[in-house]
Amino acid sequence: MSKKSENSAKIEQLKKMRAQSKEGGGTERVKAQHAQGRLTARERLDLLLDKGSFRELGAFVKHRTHAFGLEEQQILSDSVVTGWGTIDGKLVYVYSQDFTVFGGSLGEVHAEKIVKVMEMALKTGSPIIGLNDSGGARIQEGVVSLGGYADIFLRNTLASGVIPQISAIMGPCAGGAVYSPALTDFIFMVRNSSYMFVTGPEVVKSVTHEEVSFEALGGASIHSAQSGVCHVVADSEADTLFLIRKLLSYLPQNNLEDPPFRPTKDDPLRREEELDSLIPDEPNKPYDIKRLIQLIVDDGAFFEIHEQFAQNIVVGFARLGGHAVGVIANQPMVLAGVLDIDASEKAARFVRFCDSFNLPLLTLVDVPGFMPGTAQEHNGIIRAGAKLLYAYCEATVPKLTVVTRKAYGGAYDVMSSKHIRGDLNLAWPTAEIAVMGPDGAVNIIFRKELAKSKNPEKKRAELVAEYREQFANPYVAASRGYIDHVIRPRETRPRLINALEMLTNKRDSNPAKKHGNIPL
Amino acid sequence: MFNKVLIANRGEIAVRIIRACRELGLHTVAVFSEADRQALHVRLSDEAYPIGPAPSKDSYLRMDKILDVAKKTKAGAIHPGYGFLAERSDFSQACEDEGITFIGPRASAIAAMGDKAVARATVQAAGVPVVPGTEGEGNLQDEELLRLAPQIGFPLLIKATAGGGGKGMREVRSLEEMPSLLSAARSEAQSAFGDGNVYLEKLLEAVRHIEFQIMADLEGNTVHLGERECSLQRRHQKLLEEAPSPFIDDDEEFRQTMGEVAVKAAKAVNYANAGTIEFLVDKDKNFYFLEMNTRLQVEHPITEEVTGFDIVTEQLRVARGRQLSVTQDQVKLKGWAIECRINAEDPYNNFLPSTGLISYLSVPTGPGVRVDTGVYAGFQISPYYDSLISKLVVRGESRAQAILRMRRALEEYRIVGVKTNIPFHQRLVEQARFLAGNFDTRFIEERFSLEKAEEGKEEHPEIAAIVATLVAHQQTERSAHIIARGKRDTSNWKWVSRWERMHR
Repeated sequence: MSKKSENSAKIEQLKKMRAQSKEGGGTERVKAQHAQGRLTARERLDLLLDKGSFRELGAFVKHRTHAFGLEEQQILSDSVVTGWGTIDGKLVYVYSQDFTVFGGSLGEVHAEKIVKVMEMALKTGSPIIGLNDSGGARIQEGVVSLGGYADIFLRNTLASGVIPQISAIMGPCAGGAVYSPALTDFIFMVRNSSYMFVTGPEVVKSVTHEEVSFEALGGASIHSAQSGVCHVVADSEADTLFLIRKLLSYLPQNNLEDPPFRPTKDDPLRREEELDSLIPDEPNKPYDIKRLIQLIVDDGAFFEIHEQFAQNIVVGFARLGGHAVGVIANQPMVLAGVLDIDASEKAARFVRFCDSFNLPLLTLVDVPGFMPGTAQEHNGIIRAGAKLLYAYCEATVPKLTVVTRKAYGGAYDVMSSKHIRGDLNLAWPTAEIAVMGPDGAVNIIFRKELAKSKNPEKKRAELVAEYREQFANPYVAASRGYIDHVIRPRETRPRLINALEMLTNKRDSNPAKKHGNIPL
Repeated sequence: MFNKVLIANRGEIAVRIIRACRELGLHTVAVFSEADRQALHVRLSDEAYPIGPAPSKDSYLRMDKILDVAKKTKAGAIHPGYGFLAERSDFSQACEDEGITFIGPRASAIAAMGDKAVARATVQAAGVPVVPGTEGEGNLQDEELLRLAPQIGFPLLIKATAGGGGKGMREVRSLEEMPSLLSAARSEAQSAFGDGNVYLEKLLEAVRHIEFQIMADLEGNTVHLGERECSLQRRHQKLLEEAPSPFIDDDEEFRQTMGEVAVKAAKAVNYANAGTIEFLVDKDKNFYFLEMNTRLQVEHPITEEVTGFDIVTEQLRVARGRQLSVTQDQVKLKGWAIECRINAEDPYNNFLPSTGLISYLSVPTGPGVRVDTGVYAGFQISPYYDSLISKLVVRGESRAQAILRMRRALEEYRIVGVKTNIPFHQRLVEQARFLAGNFDTRFIEERFSLEKAEEGKEEHPEIAAIVATLVAHQQTERSAHIIARGKRDTSNWKWVSRWERMHR
């Protein structure tokens, strides 16, 4: 009998410690967190993961600092909650910084806990999701906390391209701390309640004398629309976490797996008549490429990445006949779909992500060329354009291309052309594949004739019409085999699904190398 | 004589007509719009042909396309059902011109009854009472209207000759206030329609809508098949009908008086085939001709249930030149029938039409229950046509038995995927005034609201608790596993790594 009572005392102690660990920074701090419209670290994990699936690691971890009176404050599990759980039944590893404990600051054991789950994720080949809400380094721990950051950066880099890494910024994320999310594949932000910057408004003011608010310096709107740091922005924490779940439905567990197949009720043979008339008769009139995407993919569902950034190119995930694909499409509605620095970098990073994780690429081309101008040239459109070119060239996943209208000049080459290992290059009858637009071409080829002509305007119009007739079509390219087939727009969906299945077992490789030297 | 019938309609009525044709051994031809490719009437007919895009003006209203199909398939007759082309005299005429039998009245009868003023004058001449007023008497001046007003009796309505939608309409309670109301009505009508002419009509209050089913053969033999009570309407849309009317009930003399008048009205336009005479009836049993529907009516099944008479079969027989199969004294009403129109609309949200896929459907059966429907589980309800998806009809020996049966059948009815007005009907058949048979045409709009009825809504906390517990249990079980139970992990991750180490 006495033995039993001894055990029960031990169990009581365990229960107490577990309860303590769950409390985080205590009721007051939790209240303060809620008052700001924010959830606690554990509440966020409950929303993110399948109900009841979370298993915690290191719930009894304590910090080891003996400076500045910190030894007086000991909180079980320290300022980050780590562990694993499932999303749609699939294993993921998570860490969630706890702002109620030391302001979520990162010290030695905080970093150790994160490194531990990252290594477990890497060993088991599973995605890792980090929910960031931290005041920064734990100053009291000094250089030890800097070391902790670097330990995490190294793991982020080693895991890059091996397992999907997703970061969500749920509160502040400042200083060196921003570089861990920056190394991951996708950054999610919560509108009006999260911000990221390397140096805060105070420092900015003392160095450059600029007065700027937190939101204007590094809020979700800035990073999603202007800097391109943030990939997906949502209105609330719950929405953000829901969108992470949704994103994962398109991703494989690691770089050796195929992306998940989701059977669909949407007819793979569905032909949309609307596509036949989607391209306006007037070649310079815009149309919405997102409408095209919506019409051809399963159930019209498109998960867009970088929705507000460099809108002249559209990238995101969708499914065709149940197979997940990465979609890259020029957007004629914005800057006529031209490739500029931001658009090139946005698409390049997306293409490389898809290639890393075995997601086939679907490229929809309507591009008038690269953006001209001193601003672009001086800021390095050459370097940026080369990134996209490099990304497409090195990609070995199945690559499908549909030219809907313009494919001019160097931009034609870049956008997953046949020459850079496009597997199946299709064109609509409205396609114009040429070295440049009719007007420009006529001005160059017939410069002398135009100069001599009595009525140069009339002559030019005639020559443009003639050029358009002869070269602004897909058949010149098709006669060379640069285009595999010219299809009726309404056939696009059935054709693409068939092609995707044809390419299921594609294998292709690049020469052995340490790694290529992408023009960064 | 025809052996093949084209059904120029869709939904439950097309199915109803196909069934009658089958019973008579007639071949059927269905037509369908793009939205109806998978509809039940297409599946049940012997042949089916597309006639255009979803909007009815491009398909079910295209006479030319329908006649083309009839000619191509050598269909000898066309049944128009109700709605669409059913009351278009030009369509009846076009059929006749093509030598195709139109299963319905002659073009002249449709035209006569289709024009309100002509219909009124025609039946009035035949001695049928009409709502007292000056409509059809030309454009009268104020002096004449003021002179005629007391003869019509107060209260009355001033209505715009050119109008509709309540514009230029005034309610008059006495002769003293009439001159000023007249000038107000005229100026409003002038500005709204560019025509200041008005007429007077007696204002009928607390009236019922009771209609008589008529059946006539080509020789002019005409019978009525008793009445239907159709007062339960919302915005002139009938929702629940019964036969006989609880207002007439066992007053056989009144029934025959009205029935004879109805037959007279039909004969006045030399009517053939099935038709319906609608009356307004006040509480003193005065009745007035409202209009004639020159077609098969939605609510015809309740008449079939109490007379034992198959109206659609009879339509086909009569159209083939046969004599009526009954005489007036052979028509006997037996028992009581009620019909609820089951519509795909949300009774909790202003009866907004509801569209979508019917994912599950379980239709009530058992004694005395009949369901005329055009949908099935897996059918997609489109937004292009009216929202009627089925007619739930019950029959009982008495009105009480019929009501109990209707309650039971409504409870059995399960439609998942779209919202329906079943909850509305369930509350309606519990109302004291409905049970007492004491209602008029304004009952639903003025005295009945689902929202109010919802206050006493049943709650089932025990069932909710049991379901919540089961779900929680299932989730806990599932969340304890990373790999689904009984499944082997086939991850490439592990196998590739092993393979690499074996080849080092």
